[in-house]
Amino acid sequence: MATEAKPEKYITSFQQLMEEGRKNGYRLDWLLPRETFGARIDSDPDAGGLLLQDIDRGPFAEIPDWSNNMSGRPRGSLTRANAARVGNYSIRTKGDIWLKNASQLYEEAVQRQWSSAVDVPWETMEELPDDIERAECQLATFLTEVEFVAGDVPGKWISQTTPDYYEPRMFLISQIMDEARHMDVFRKRAFANGGGLMSQTTNVALSGGAIDSARDFTEMSARLHISGEGLVLSIFRMGERMSYNAAEKAIYRLAASDESRHVAFGVMHLQYLSQTDPQRKEEIHSYLDEIELGLIAGTGGQNPAQRGTPSSAALAILLGGGSDPTLMAEGAQIALAVRQRQVKEYVQRVKVAGLGERFENGRANATLAAYVSA
Amino acid sequence: MVQQQHQPTGGKRDPGGDPVPELPDLSWIDKTLGWGIKARVEPFGGGMTVDALNIGVYAEVPDHIPFRNRLPRGAYPAPGAGSIGGYYLQDKHEQWADCAGRLYEEAISRRWSTATDIPWETAHGLNDDVELAICQLATELSQHASVETEVISGWLQNLSPGYHEVKLFLSTATYDSARMFEGYRKRAMVNGGGMMLESPGGMNRAILETYAGWSQTVLGMWFVRNSLDTTILRYLAAYGPTEADRALAARLIPDRMRAAAYATDHIRFAISKKPELAIGFQVWLGGVEYAQARDLRDPVLTEALAIIFGRGVAGMDDGMTVVRRLLQDFVKTYLSRCKQANLDRSKSLSGSFQVMLSGMPAPPRPQA
Repeated sequence: MATEAKPEKYITSFQQLMEEGRKNGYRLDWLLPRETFGARIDSDPDAGGLLLQDIDRGPFAEIPDWSNNMSGRPRGSLTRANAARVGNYSIRTKGDIWLKNASQLYEEAVQRQWSSAVDVPWETMEELPDDIERAECQLATFLTEVEFVAGDVPGKWISQTTPDYYEPRMFLISQIMDEARHMDVFRKRAFANGGGLMSQTTNVALSGGAIDSARDFTEMSARLHISGEGLVLSIFRMGERMSYNAAEKAIYRLAASDESRHVAFGVMHLQYLSQTDPQRKEEIHSYLDEIELGLIAGTGGQNPAQRGTPSSAALAILLGGGSDPTLMAEGAQIALAVRQRQVKEYVQRVKVAGLGERFENGRANATLAAYVSA
Repeated sequence: MVQQQHQPTGGKRDPGGDPVPELPDLSWIDKTLGWGIKARVEPFGGGMTVDALNIGVYAEVPDHIPFRNRLPRGAYPAPGAGSIGGYYLQDKHEQWADCAGRLYEEAISRRWSTATDIPWETAHGLNDDVELAICQLATELSQHASVETEVISGWLQNLSPGYHEVKLFLSTATYDSARMFEGYRKRAMVNGGGMMLESPGGMNRAILETYAGWSQTVLGMWFVRNSLDTTILRYLAAYGPTEADRALAARLIPDRMRAAAYATDHIRFAISKKPELAIGFQVWLGGVEYAQARDLRDPVLTEALAIIFGRGVAGMDDGMTVVRRLLQDFVKTYLSRCKQANLDRSKSLSGSFQVMLSGMPAPPRPQA
């Protein structure tokens, strides 16, 4: 809880201090209390400690709708007239990146960091049948590859976002950290049980660039967070079903926890934008048109369950229990259910983001409805 | 033996009406460059480390990655997979450090939180001038860290995934910098002082404007700026005015040191592969030293440090003696890193740095 700031009482004493310092040859013209000086913040260790969202006070909490910060100064700091304009920030409009709970998501990410080296019970892995091991390794190879997308692309946008919007930047940095760990843990899985890396996925290599190529953050976020990561999250949530040991269960459970935050970021950003800048909704709908095409036709390259890919075949083996035709057919049926779940969860995310009208007015891809009702 | 032939399409259709193959295509199932690899958990408690995966055919880290896409190193390349853009740093000497994998695992194992691991309740009760000086220092350190997050995260898309150990480490380095940013923002706000005057910006510019390459960025950011910041943190860890200040600085030092370790290892590796690079690196460092010295001629940072170490405006002369020692240690640290990287700067050190190294008054005082 903060106490009232009383800057007035400090002015006299500071003038005296500055005079004393100047007599000794120091400049001290910077030694001036800001508006909130003296407003103490007491953190509560039982309530998570001193959180990013707790420290927003006075001018430091004012998030401008448009930022003219080109020197990279921390939000609320005083400017120097001679500071170089080094901030090549293309994102200086709040609606372009903002969401209401980025600080909370960042702090949660910090609290939930885990280690692929020691938090996965690798020792529980025992030799698996060759087809199962190969399927595990193919899926792990696919996930290793796509996790590069989810780490590298946000990085580009962090460096292009004004530090006045530091909260979403902080979250995106935590996402880079998470994705590094995912890339790492799936690579480890490929080598942990007598297998190795398998085949690169052609459509990831070719189509992964669609996320890279987005020229607008919201477009990128919709492609990455709402679609790509959402699809992968649905797979991770099925982890219990396709795991063959405690190590794999732990991997999917831990990765799903991270991925949920990433998806939440995308949903909350889209929600903020649709609420504060409804003029952009039509534009966002056009991105969703393309995303839904990818969802159905697999043009996005991000969906491990996309039919006709090595990763979906691997899923069929894992879900069915082997490469025997009967088992695999059963697995393919379960994989179809996974795709249905992916579609349902996508529809729900878009609705929460405030763009659900597309499912009422015929704008959404008609095939989605068939999946939802199947 | 696994069946590999493509299965014919039957009469089944998915909810979208598309035909569903009877069975998935398994032609991928023998596409691997090395099979039967088993990585081992570290015998003394380190778990399954990223370096432990570098065995057999996967142990080879090539000098050049010919792909500009996200092919995981050692995976079977997909036919037709071309460039997706970015990733133009495809040579090992442009980014590699042998210690990157170990530093990544260390960063993960040392995870901590500014929210819960700093005794913020001890950060109150300072005299107003010391509190404001801490806020000024926190503003500058926070900005330094913020610039680092921009720089590292911006480079990630240019560094080839074939050297994933480097990418992994740099992900932790970005995260560490973010923690320094928010740790000092929290420190500045905990008594309401808040963000004060932005940093002069010369070094920010030197670090951000590095089109020349990642190695040049490393030199500016982690040889010069990091040496200064780490030295300040060391002094704060020892002489910080509150337990919270000392704890925050002490927590951040290992994070800074990991970045320094990567930096020296990388530059040493780059020079070992391309000795001629050392000439350009020397010239580059001369420019960065100039930028750092110019920033330090601005008295705000040194005055704030003098107030902190002198325990108030009244003790600034004593505090400035400590500051001069700090700056001397900064240059020593910097020179040590250069030497470790086989980049001896002792004979070509800029004049301003030589002054700091001598312990003489570096920041000239304005006339009263």
